[in-house]
Amino acid sequence: MDWNLLVLQLINGLTLGAIYAVIALGYTMVYGIIELINFAHGDVYTAGSFVALATLTLLGATRHMAAAALAFALIVTFLAAMLIMGATGVVIERFAYRPLRGRQRLAPLLTAIGVSFSLENILQLWMGPSPVPFPQVLPNPFFNLGAVGVGQMQLVVIFSSIVMMLALHFFVQGTKLGKAMRATAQDWMAAEIMGIDINKTIALTFFIGSVLAGAGGVITGLYYGNVWFINGFRAGLIAFTAAVLGGIGNTTGAALGGFVIGFVEVMTAQYVGFQWAEVTIFSVLILVLIFRPTGLLGQQLPERT
Amino acid sequence: MRRLLFLLAGLAVISLIAMGPGSGGLQPANGAAMAGKTIKIGVDLPMSGGEAPNGEPTNNAVLLAIDEANKAGGYKGMMFEEVLKDDAVNGVHDPAQGAKNVQELLADSAVVGIMGNFNSNVGKATIPITNAAGVVQISPSQTNPGLTKPEFGALDVRKAHPTQINYFRVCPTDDLQGPVAADYAFKKLKLKKVAILDDQETYGKGIADEFAREFGKLGGTVVSRDGIPKGTQDFHAILTAIKAKAPDLLFFGGVTTTGGGLIRKQMKDVGLTIPYEGGDGIVEDEFLKVAGDDANGSYGTVAAENAEKLPTAKGFLAAYKAKYKSDPGAYSANGYVAAKIIIDAVKAVGPDRAKVRAWVANLKNYKSIIGTFSFDKNGDTTNKIVSVYTVKNGKWEWLDQINFTL
Repeated sequence: MDWNLLVLQLINGLTLGAIYAVIALGYTMVYGIIELINFAHGDVYTAGSFVALATLTLLGATRHMAAAALAFALIVTFLAAMLIMGATGVVIERFAYRPLRGRQRLAPLLTAIGVSFSLENILQLWMGPSPVPFPQVLPNPFFNLGAVGVGQMQLVVIFSSIVMMLALHFFVQGTKLGKAMRATAQDWMAAEIMGIDINKTIALTFFIGSVLAGAGGVITGLYYGNVWFINGFRAGLIAFTAAVLGGIGNTTGAALGGFVIGFVEVMTAQYVGFQWAEVTIFSVLILVLIFRPTGLLGQQLPERT
Repeated sequence: MRRLLFLLAGLAVISLIAMGPGSGGLQPANGAAMAGKTIKIGVDLPMSGGEAPNGEPTNNAVLLAIDEANKAGGYKGMMFEEVLKDDAVNGVHDPAQGAKNVQELLADSAVVGIMGNFNSNVGKATIPITNAAGVVQISPSQTNPGLTKPEFGALDVRKAHPTQINYFRVCPTDDLQGPVAADYAFKKLKLKKVAILDDQETYGKGIADEFAREFGKLGGTVVSRDGIPKGTQDFHAILTAIKAKAPDLLFFGGVTTTGGGLIRKQMKDVGLTIPYEGGDGIVEDEFLKVAGDDANGSYGTVAAENAEKLPTAKGFLAAYKAKYKSDPGAYSANGYVAAKIIIDAVKAVGPDRAKVRAWVANLKNYKSIIGTFSFDKNGDTTNKIVSVYTVKNGKWEWLDQINFTL
């Protein structure tokens, strides 16, 4: 066993898992509150990259800018991507999902797939059908620490993802709005009776999930240096798997699921063969669903009539 | 239940009409078509998405060939016309879409032959259809040997008429392209240990297999071999695994959109600073865009001669540049020749599918802008030249070419 290699791969897994986790949070929050699998979420994440790309281009950001100007450009980019995506999430919920709330489950599910295709096509019309280079404003040197090493962007990805996850955790657990979200997730009818505006709360959930996806999009754009309108499809599918693995509806579970899948993917690449990555990911999912149908940290949701 | 049965029966009837050989759409063009004003050449290429940079310059060359034929008077007053189909779905070439396109093309009795497709796995799906219909299909760029050579399983794609060849190509195959890439790496670049990644598609896996075989034969070592799950964006883990095996070359079998560009870009992220080589799937501008500055120092082979180096192609190059105000793509000259063969066949025997196919099958010493060649008994060109390119200052530059023509 080459321990140095294992450490290197753990860093890779942590980076990949952090990205999956951030996207998975959006899936799990929406599912938790209205039991809808929001298939458009992966595309919201890709749209975040596109907004970031447009913003950076507009600001003329390059790697050779002064540090202060670059920091300003990055802050504007993050804000733009997060706010625009948050607003997009709210609009999607208002016009695509709210009219179908309370109908049988198949209708909103199909609508979600439709929204996903619409977003993909809008992105394709906007930036074209080919992969688009993303400005490499942050250098990505590889730090050789003796036998192991880490890329600078990997540290950025891991650090910023963890900050976002902690912020979400404190918001949901520690604020009044978070409490309203949890109450609505538990039983929206009772929550409404208690005076919670559930429309607002559900919109807020979409807003926060989409803000996270938007930020995730900016980070991966910077990390991979490339965006493609179709990227959200695979990323969304895997993040959705992460959410189910962790226990859909459970935010801590989604984060855990994301990291587990990230590790499974890199370990497969290292020790089994990269072509088996998806096979192992989905095998793990099947095993978890057989032996723990509620996911790793799943919550038992009450049956609704 | 009964309604379901009716539905199924209805579907079965419809699909029989649509696909059955000998049904109305697949009849050869005859007197009725002759009375029409145009002779149609079906074209199926990836025209949208990440591969549009492949399809567009190839299609431009086809249009150029048709234009020239029409300016010269067409055939007995009838003009040539292109019917273009796009086989890219969501930006990536798609065999099912290609098959659907070819069926639509064949359903039009004015279509005398088909120029295309571009990607080998699309050919796997379309050749059985054109073979059953007995319609000529000429590809500018499909390089997988399994499409023509029985020893690579080509009889599977021409089950309907195993001995009646209808599929031809004007490019040599990956059982040459792969070895050229291996030879160049081993002999010229003096690289002895290779790690191989492929995209698990017909073309990518095929060229990687041929590369591995030749590299082993030369005495080199293949330290690892992995496939890429479709749609992967993050290659850091597999590149870290490869780095640990200390190869001195990374060979990629596949095209830019299935990972060719991102892999090159991410090699640097994990500190893997070795040369990178691929087949014609990465020798395109799209690769330069995706890999950015990191593209420099990559090598790639193309199953065609460099048109810029051919005295016979000077007129074509000038005409192309004048008409489209841009440089032709790697397979433009081949696309021009593929279309020209169909046009010349019509001029020789008239717009009849069966006669056109027979004329092309017997093509001997055909003089074209990419040299003089014949089609062998499997439909492969006897013109066997493979070029090697490298990226310098963000551009693909021609390095060398190897001639296998006997």
